[in-house]
Amino acid sequence: MPTHLVISKGTELLRVPLDALMYVSADGNYSTVVTRDSRATLLTMQLGRVETLISEQLGSSGNVFIRAGRGLIINSEYINFIDVSRQILVLSDCSGSRHELSASREVLAKLKEYIESTVK
Amino acid sequence: MGKEKDIKDDEIRIIGVPESAGGKGAYKKSLWERISSIAPAAAIVAIVAAICLAVWFIPGRGYVVHGDAVAVSGLNVEEPGDEHSTSDLPSENGDIPYLGNYSDMEGDAYTEHLRDTVNDIPLDIFIPHNASPGLYLGVPELSDRRIVFATRAADVRADNGKIVGAFVLDGQPLSWGLSKKGYCGIIDGNITIGVADNSPLFEEATEKGGCFFRQYPLVDNGVPVENAPKGKSIRKAVCDRNGEIMVVMSITPESFHDFSQALADMGIRNAIYLAGGTSFGYYRDKHGNQNIIHERKGKAYQYENFIIWYE
Repeated sequence: MPTHLVISKGTELLRVPLDALMYVSADGNYSTVVTRDSRATLLTMQLGRVETLISEQLGSSGNVFIRAGRGLIINSEYINFIDVSRQILVLSDCSGSRHELSASREVLAKLKEYIESTVK
Repeated sequence: MGKEKDIKDDEIRIIGVPESAGGKGAYKKSLWERISSIAPAAAIVAIVAAICLAVWFIPGRGYVVHGDAVAVSGLNVEEPGDEHSTSDLPSENGDIPYLGNYSDMEGDAYTEHLRDTVNDIPLDIFIPHNASPGLYLGVPELSDRRIVFATRAADVRADNGKIVGAFVLDGQPLSWGLSKKGYCGIIDGNITIGVADNSPLFEEATEKGGCFFRQYPLVDNGVPVENAPKGKSIRKAVCDRNGEIMVVMSITPESFHDFSQALADMGIRNAIYLAGGTSFGYYRDKHGNQNIIHERKGKAYQYENFIIWYE
C-alpha cells in the first residue's frame, strides 16, 4: 500500500507522505501543494493532472482525497469545519496546522453531506 | 497515463473510487428529497432578494455596504464599524457616493477593507487612504512600514520571467509591447485606468518619472469587457469608481465574465485585471495592523512586480 505521493515533472520531484498532504489548490495552470507543516510547494501542472496522479498511484486507497470543484483537492481526514453559508472550509489536524479555505456553497453542501453519510 | 476528467465548480469527486462504486453517488438524494430540502431555503432567498432590491433602489443610495465581514483564507479582517457605512460625500462627478470613509482632515495613511456581495459574488474591497500609488519591482518587504497596500500588478511570463506588455517603472521603460489592451498609468500620484491599443500615458510616464503597465481590461466606461480566458479563478482588479480608486478581489473563484459584470454593477467605471489572484499581498489597516491578504507561495519571478500604495 503506497505511503507517499510522488509528483515528478521536468527536473523536479516532490514526495509527500499521504497523511501529511492537507490540500492542493489550483492557481491558473499551476497547483500548490500544502502539507501539514504549512509549507506550500508550487507545481507547474494543472490540478486535474495532480488528481490523475493521486488516482493512478494510490488507487482506492486514495479515497481520502476529494476533488472539490475545479479549485481544490482536499484530504478529507483533515476536514474540521464547514460553514456553507459563509463559504468557509477549515482543514486542521487539531494540533497546530490549520487552513481556512473558501469554496462554493454547492461544494461545501456536498462535502458536508458526504461527511455526514460516513458517520451514519 | 490517465486522462483528467472535467469537474464543475459545484461538484465534488472522491478520488480513486469509480463513480459506479459510489465515488460521486454515495451521498446523492432523490430528486424529491432535493426539491424538498431546497424549497425552504429558496423561499428565504427570494424574500431576502426582494428586501435587497428594495434597499438597492432607495433614492440616494447608489450602493449598500454591509458589515458582516468574516475571516477567510487567513485574512485578518477589520471589525465592522461605523466607518464602514457608505460615505455621504459625493464622488468627483457627483453621480454616486463614495464607498469608502473620508474626512476633511488629512490623516494617517491606511487601507480601508470592505466586504460585499454583488450578483452572489462575495468581494473584498480595499481602498487606500492618504497614500500615493506606484509600482515596485521585486517582492516588497513586510518590514517596510511605509507600504499601506501591496498586490501583484502586471503578468510575468512563466518561461522567461519577463513582464508581459508595456511596463514603465519610475520613468524607466522595462518592457514594451501590446499584449493586453487594458492599461494603468500612475503619473504625479494619480491613477488612470483605461482600455486602448495605444495610450499616451506610456510616453508621459517615461517623461514624468511615472509608472505604467498593461493587463486584461475588465470594465471600460462602465461596460464589462469580454476576455478570452474562460476558466474560473480568484479574480482581482484595480478599479476607478468615479474617481475613487480601489482594488477589488473575488473571494470565490469566478469567471472573467461574472467578475467584470459584478464590477460594472457596483458602479466601477474602469477596471483592469491584476496578476495572480491568490498571490502574495498585504495591507495596513487604520489601526496600524499589517494584514496578509494571501501568503507568499513559491519562488518569485525575476520581474515580479507589485502595485503599491505608500504613505
